[in-house]
Amino acid sequence: MSGQIGRTLLRVFSSLGLSCALLVLLGLLTWLGTLEQVHSGLYEVQRKYFESFVLLHDVGPFSIPLPGANLVLSLLAVNLVVGGLVRIRKGSSTAGILVVHVGILLLLGAAFVKHHASQDGRVTLFEGQSSSWFESDMRWEIAIRESLGDGTAREHVVAQESFEHAAEGEPVRIQAPDLPFTLEVLESLPNSRPQKGGDGVQLRAVPREPEAERNIAGARVALVDARGQRTDGLLWGAQDGPFSTTTVGRRFELELRRERYPLPFTLKLADFRKEDHPRSSMPKSFESDVAVARSGDERALTISMNEPLRADGLVVYQASWGPQGAGPGTALYSTFAVVRNPADSLPLIACFVIAVGLFTHFGRKLARHVRIERGGA
Amino acid sequence: MRDLLYALIVGLALAGHAAASDPPSETVSASFPPSVVKRFESLPIQDGGRVKPIASFARFTLLRIAGSTRAKDADGASHESVEWLLRLCLFPEVAAGDPVVLVEDVQAAEAVGLPHEGKKKRDRWSYAELLPALPQIIDRAHADSGIDAAQRSPIQSQTIRLAESALTVLRIGRAFDFARAHIPLQQGTRAADIFPNQAEVTVADIVVHGPALAALERELASSDEGREKGAVAALWRGATDLCADAQTLAWIPPSVSIDEDPNWKTPADLVLAARRGAVVAESHIALLRAAEEVAARRTDPVRLEIALGELHDRVLSLATARGEGATLEAEVVYQRLGLLRWSLVAFLVGFALTALAWLRPKSRALNSGKWLAAATALGLLITVIVLRCWIRGRPPVSTLYETVLFVTATGALVAFGVEWVHRTRVAIAAACLFGACGIFLANGYERLDGQDTMPSLVAVLDTNFWLSTHVTSITLGYAAGMLAALLASTYLIISLVRGPRANAAAQRGLARSVYGVTCFALCFAVVGTILGGIWANESWGRFWGWDPKENGALLICISQIALVHGRRGGFLRDAGTCMAAAFGGTIVAFSWWGVNLLGVGLHSYGFTSGVQTALWTYYGVQWGIVGLGGLAWLRDRKRRPGLEGTSNPAVRSSATEVSVAPSKARPGRARRAQPDVEEIPAALPSTSAPVANADPR
Repeated sequence: MSGQIGRTLLRVFSSLGLSCALLVLLGLLTWLGTLEQVHSGLYEVQRKYFESFVLLHDVGPFSIPLPGANLVLSLLAVNLVVGGLVRIRKGSSTAGILVVHVGILLLLGAAFVKHHASQDGRVTLFEGQSSSWFESDMRWEIAIRESLGDGTAREHVVAQESFEHAAEGEPVRIQAPDLPFTLEVLESLPNSRPQKGGDGVQLRAVPREPEAERNIAGARVALVDARGQRTDGLLWGAQDGPFSTTTVGRRFELELRRERYPLPFTLKLADFRKEDHPRSSMPKSFESDVAVARSGDERALTISMNEPLRADGLVVYQASWGPQGAGPGTALYSTFAVVRNPADSLPLIACFVIAVGLFTHFGRKLARHVRIERGGA
Repeated sequence: MRDLLYALIVGLALAGHAAASDPPSETVSASFPPSVVKRFESLPIQDGGRVKPIASFARFTLLRIAGSTRAKDADGASHESVEWLLRLCLFPEVAAGDPVVLVEDVQAAEAVGLPHEGKKKRDRWSYAELLPALPQIIDRAHADSGIDAAQRSPIQSQTIRLAESALTVLRIGRAFDFARAHIPLQQGTRAADIFPNQAEVTVADIVVHGPALAALERELASSDEGREKGAVAALWRGATDLCADAQTLAWIPPSVSIDEDPNWKTPADLVLAARRGAVVAESHIALLRAAEEVAARRTDPVRLEIALGELHDRVLSLATARGEGATLEAEVVYQRLGLLRWSLVAFLVGFALTALAWLRPKSRALNSGKWLAAATALGLLITVIVLRCWIRGRPPVSTLYETVLFVTATGALVAFGVEWVHRTRVAIAAACLFGACGIFLANGYERLDGQDTMPSLVAVLDTNFWLSTHVTSITLGYAAGMLAALLASTYLIISLVRGPRANAAAQRGLARSVYGVTCFALCFAVVGTILGGIWANESWGRFWGWDPKENGALLICISQIALVHGRRGGFLRDAGTCMAAAFGGTIVAFSWWGVNLLGVGLHSYGFTSGVQTALWTYYGVQWGIVGLGGLAWLRDRKRRPGLEGTSNPAVRSSATEVSVAPSKARPGRARRAQPDVEEIPAALPSTSAPVANADPR
């Protein structure tokens, strides 16, 4: 009985019918997710349609349940492995197909690694500035810093997952052994603006921006020490300075900031150049002369569009610049996108593999077809 | 308000031209001789970030203003764009009466109080007709331009376009003022002493004596000699005013290398340099003098030709010394020959001959003629693409316009290949139809966009490697996808019209062509899409971002993979394959054009409604064909009770089933055994037709 169920499952998961159904579903999701971008931001659409297992798509007053792209792609991967690699007939006529399927699997693998093991963000530097970290576009963290008095500081970092669910009436409590207080996040706001209220400045929740990187997170917090004494505070992502407080004689600074990742080197911007095409405002090139310093060694390099810097598993891209409309003599800044993706080179390999497979398979079929047709003519 | 004042000032100035000048009657009606126009058309200028012949500037300027590459004068005589430009530069008082400004809806004119008796709803107006309401037009356009483009009413958009067009005419009309007008000297002043024995001076004179005049101005700065100061100031002011609109045309190459100064100059730049005390290069002074000579000889065609030749040679010599302008002549020839037009004609002739050859299949003349016409058309189109590559030094596809040319050429070429293999006489007709539609589309887009079709590229696109790999591959995918849709539509229409009387073998061959072309499209669409991801990773740091354009490319791949798997699994037979491929055409169109209209993402172009209308028309036609094709299939299925609905369980194959060893037995078994159902007719020709008609899913 179980053998029969197993065989049935195997047949279903290896069937071309399932492939077709899943491809149609993936096409439908891609189409809906594309049109949805007119009304919602890319980040929201991505989460709803392409990074979900199930979703509800609104059509007028109705909500239609659909499988998310994560589910569809996972099933397609299983279908590909079982039907397209393991159980497919192996021979010269299917060699190309096998190669294509291996390439697609590589591509799916690259996407999986990128999704689960990559870090991306950006670093903005004015000319002369340097940085040894980069920060996320989307993710936030709370930093609790205590100055140790000798020019150094100890920093505790609370990741977004730990406090983002805090809501009115459902605070999140965070403790650490060497902190003399409990941090209570009373409310976490994905996008907020400060406003003056009756009791001073308040944080007001505002709708999420279509471009998620433009959201400015906020949080209402309270520090509760061992005696139960509370200190209330507000943390806002675009605040000029940190929220400072003294507890049991120790001074702490709290900051809600974009999640930071260390760079394995120090990146210094020496010069940024933006060149327009002659007698037009169309940008011709963006170039940043940078210095990459690590343990006493410093290398001068240029990062430009289509010419990123690759070093120590990171790729640093020329992303944008500012301030917009800067006149002559205005100090310029350059923004670099930074990505750490262990599967960075896999798509290129996959592309070669797929191309070889496709052209082998269809080239062979075409040659045979032409031979038959022309021969019979 | 500043724009309004500006418009009033310059508007009155051009009106002044018209009122004060009394041009000789022969020049009012006469066109320039071709030799004069030929001299003018290759004059190099720098515009939109590149050096180009003035003929290209004229073409796209007139397209933007008039929606046409030809202009009519007040007497109804038609002029090439470059001749219109020459008229406007040298005879602005006459050309102001040329009805060239296209007003799409007369309500736009009505809204600014212009009398419109005798004007059609969509008509062309002259600058002189618009002049009375120019301040109102500018004022309204200024207000309307503050509204988000997507929120503007058609009239508001039209008013903005009207203002832009009128101002363009105005600026070009004044571009040669610096060469034809003179500035009187205040005799008895020190400023006049700089120009001995002259009662009036030209802009060139002022530029020549700029350092002396600037030194005098500095010397007088701390004095209280009002008259002397005023005389100097009047000269600078006069020169600056006369050059104000000369900035429209940058035709003076710097005398230094391209690295030192990439920006070409206008007479205004020379006046500014002179006022700063700089000594302007002799070569530049000579250019100003040559321009003065052109303006002075405007009524004498023989001397005008000589003067234009002198100006052209001087500009070209300076440009060549900087390594610029090497392909100017080629671009002039490209514009002049209008190869695209001839290609269109040849495609249409080819289609007509093919249609006639269907009626008289044994006519050798018709059969040879159709091939000759189609090959000529394709040859001309390929020549256009190669010329463009040479002129710009870029791969064949770098702009949306060029995708149309490339899709048309490669689609027609693939159709030629299909015809060569199958000899059905359908693919050759499809090649001609595809070619003609593609060139219609290219012309329509060029007219709608009104921009240089060989523009400079933004930084991220300025890479020949990715343009020649990703863009070329994906565009080949578009071409084959659209061709497959056309062939599939032909199949469905024949099925609809002829029903069971259709030639089964021919229909079967057509369906196999559709499948083959889809496989061709799939190869290039998949490789092109992945290459696009790799390019995005190189430029932006992410392989895939679910951007609408990326999603569009993915949709093409998914639809074609689904079709291939559907056919391989036996879920799609001939009719089903053709319905899917015909529907696939709308997916390609959505990816190629539709996503650009969404207004979001990295590939948003903000087109006007023209593209939208054409796109929805195509969607409607294709969906209609697919729907009717489905109905025809249902109809024919009922007419053949013995054969219909042979839901052969063997065709519901899976990867497991296709791994069964092939059998040489009955067709039904062969269907199960053969992983590629389209190969069956070749192996079993005698049974192919009935099987194909039996279950055309």
